[in-house]
Amino acid sequence: MSGRRLNAPLLIGGALVLLVVAMALISYVWTPYEFKYLPVPKEQTPNAEHWLGTDRSSRDVLTQILLGARTTLFVGLVAVAVAAVIGVPIGILAAMSPGWFGQLIMRGNDILLAFPALLLAIMFSALYGGGTFVAMVAIGIATIPAFARIVRSGALQVVNTEYVAAARVAGRGPFAIAWQHVLPNVVGLVIVQASVSFAIAILAEAALSYLGLGTPTGEPSWGRMLLESQNVLHRAPHLAIIPGAAIALAVLGFNLFGDGLRDYLDPKLEGR
Amino acid sequence: MTSRTRAFAAALSLTFLLTACNAGSTSDDPDPTDGGDSTADGTAAPAGEDTVRIGLVAEPASLDFTTTDGAAIPQALLYNVYETLVKIDQNGEMVPALASEYTVSDDGLTYTFTLQEGVTFSNGETFTAEDVVSSFEAVTNDWTVSLKSQFDIIDTVEASSDTEVVVTLTAPSNTFLYSLTTRVGAIFDSNSVDELATRPIGTGPYTFGEWNRGTSISLQRNSDYWGEEPYFDQVVLSYFTDATALNNAMLTDGIDVVGTVQAPEALSEFEDGDFQIIEGTTNGEVVLSFNNETEPFNDLKVRQAARHAIDHQALLDTCWDGRGTLIGSMVPPTDPWYEDRTGDYPYDVEAAKALMAEAEAEGVQVRLRIPTLPYATACAPVVETMLEEVGFDVTIDDLEFPAAWVEDVFTNADYEMSIVAHVEPRDLGNVFGNPDYYIRYGTPELRALLEEADTGSEEVQVEKMKEAAALISQDAASDFLFLLPNLIVADPDITGLPQNAITESFDLANLARG
Repeated sequence: MSGRRLNAPLLIGGALVLLVVAMALISYVWTPYEFKYLPVPKEQTPNAEHWLGTDRSSRDVLTQILLGARTTLFVGLVAVAVAAVIGVPIGILAAMSPGWFGQLIMRGNDILLAFPALLLAIMFSALYGGGTFVAMVAIGIATIPAFARIVRSGALQVVNTEYVAAARVAGRGPFAIAWQHVLPNVVGLVIVQASVSFAIAILAEAALSYLGLGTPTGEPSWGRMLLESQNVLHRAPHLAIIPGAAIALAVLGFNLFGDGLRDYLDPKLEGR
Repeated sequence: MTSRTRAFAAALSLTFLLTACNAGSTSDDPDPTDGGDSTADGTAAPAGEDTVRIGLVAEPASLDFTTTDGAAIPQALLYNVYETLVKIDQNGEMVPALASEYTVSDDGLTYTFTLQEGVTFSNGETFTAEDVVSSFEAVTNDWTVSLKSQFDIIDTVEASSDTEVVVTLTAPSNTFLYSLTTRVGAIFDSNSVDELATRPIGTGPYTFGEWNRGTSISLQRNSDYWGEEPYFDQVVLSYFTDATALNNAMLTDGIDVVGTVQAPEALSEFEDGDFQIIEGTTNGEVVLSFNNETEPFNDLKVRQAARHAIDHQALLDTCWDGRGTLIGSMVPPTDPWYEDRTGDYPYDVEAAKALMAEAEAEGVQVRLRIPTLPYATACAPVVETMLEEVGFDVTIDDLEFPAAWVEDVFTNADYEMSIVAHVEPRDLGNVFGNPDYYIRYGTPELRALLEEADTGSEEVQVEKMKEAAALISQDAASDFLFLLPNLIVADPDITGLPQNAITESFDLANLARG
């Protein structure tokens, strides 16, 4: 552990992630206004009463950005949880099942990997109705292969080590080995992948909401803000720029954080 | 025709019209200038002739409206290529077309049409009374779209001479004459109805040129037209799948006219440039519909409270950029029985709260189940806030349009409130007169008024329809948010554009460059 050092991506990414988390938390105790149509002029530019202006339905933009941070974190958590809870056991199972069964799992994984995540989400919206949660479960399912692959590669190294062989000889069952030896050794990989997948999920939610398939009307979402500002882009560009910047910073934050975390945790990079 | 089939017909056409209004797909921009390719039969305009290019959304799926539903086909062809015996002009008045005059018998059952003489179809055939007979009979016998049921009321159609047609009805109906102004009244050449889907032949001011699928339809001036010949040699209708692409084509001079601006906000893009902006009316009443059958809107006081709670001008300013007309009932200003009913329920929060208290409905939960269409998603948050102000607890529920919305709200009436534009002309009776329609209103009192209106003389019709409009407004059967505007952007020298979109046709006859 001694060789691990904080690095710039980790710090910058961490700061951005913290910012998003802070915005979401603040929204539980304070927002400048209620998230609703206000009897004030619409499409105001940032000013003293409305720090980030008002949108085309006379709603306060800062309020929406704060509440939207909640949606953003929620979608990331749902998608990553779905992907990790299913993907990690699949990866370990594939690594510990030599021969055709392990291959079969990974080929199935490849098929899912080839399926575009957004298309899957659109399909789910059609089948189970729209909404943030449905879309995010779909994004999570589409992210399973990423987890399964990376966990399998990490787990393969572990299952070939001598202490796993020793555990086998000692009569430990496969579940015990997976739990006690394999999983602890791939946790780092999972955390890094989670951070990267978090960024992808945020982007997917924004894209789906922009298409009108994600977060429904009347609920705060950065992607929806983009959708709703589209028609007034030429006369109120800040209504697109502000949520656009929020999405960009959040995605950048989680990506940098994931990168930095990988460098921080990867033993091979130690001392470099 | 029964009210049920009428409702069904209305439902279908509503569905398609609204689909046509749904902007926001992301398909590629078809090249708007690609309308004038030469064809083997030489129908394209030779260089140097005057062409006008009109941008529209939603290309027709076929050119045959006898078998294919949808607003785009009559929009392009009716009044332009196909003509009707009578038509509706820009002021909403019925004027002669292929029939120079008509008389109605005192019992309202027999219509005698005197036809224009010297009219030929674009294939050279002479227009006679036989063509009217065969066209009308085909509606009942050969048409497959549900709109055909409008002619169920016809008993006989006979040609009493080459220039006179007598239609008898099974019951008096003012709706019949109006239906003749729509696509079911279109007159086809009796000898050439085999190629309706690809080669329309009519008597109109334009002849059909060619259809570049996915891009455009071109119409040529009919130099043998019996009326006043149109100014332009060629009109190209360019179809876009995306409102943004349509507007951009206008900004970059790819087209001369945006036939229907999809989002009112887009107009501000054109305000600074060298364009004319035309705002007219439509038949599209944006209705905040209540389910009159179930709690809480089966209570008159709750419905009245909701009507008092809406500040209509503020709502229009916010969600539709102030473009549109406040109407107060289900009648657009171009209908003969229009009255301004916006005073029935003025914006009054205190009155609304008092009504909610009387009805013991404070805090009542209602779902506002809206279709995912631009006007609905734009207005729903404003409606939500205004209703919550007076004590409703509103949940907005997006339903994908058309599939989910038609299933849940329209078919199953599983909703308390919705927002939808009813774009059919003269649809008060269809929407409110039928107790099985999704609004679940259709009281005997209203049905009696509608019956008297349809069977009475023209004066009786106007009087009774006014009473019907007053009744649904006062009884708060729904709230009427606003009338959708018809928004056209055009080069400044184009004249004769149809300001009001109140017929099925985009009437090109008077277009000119001035």
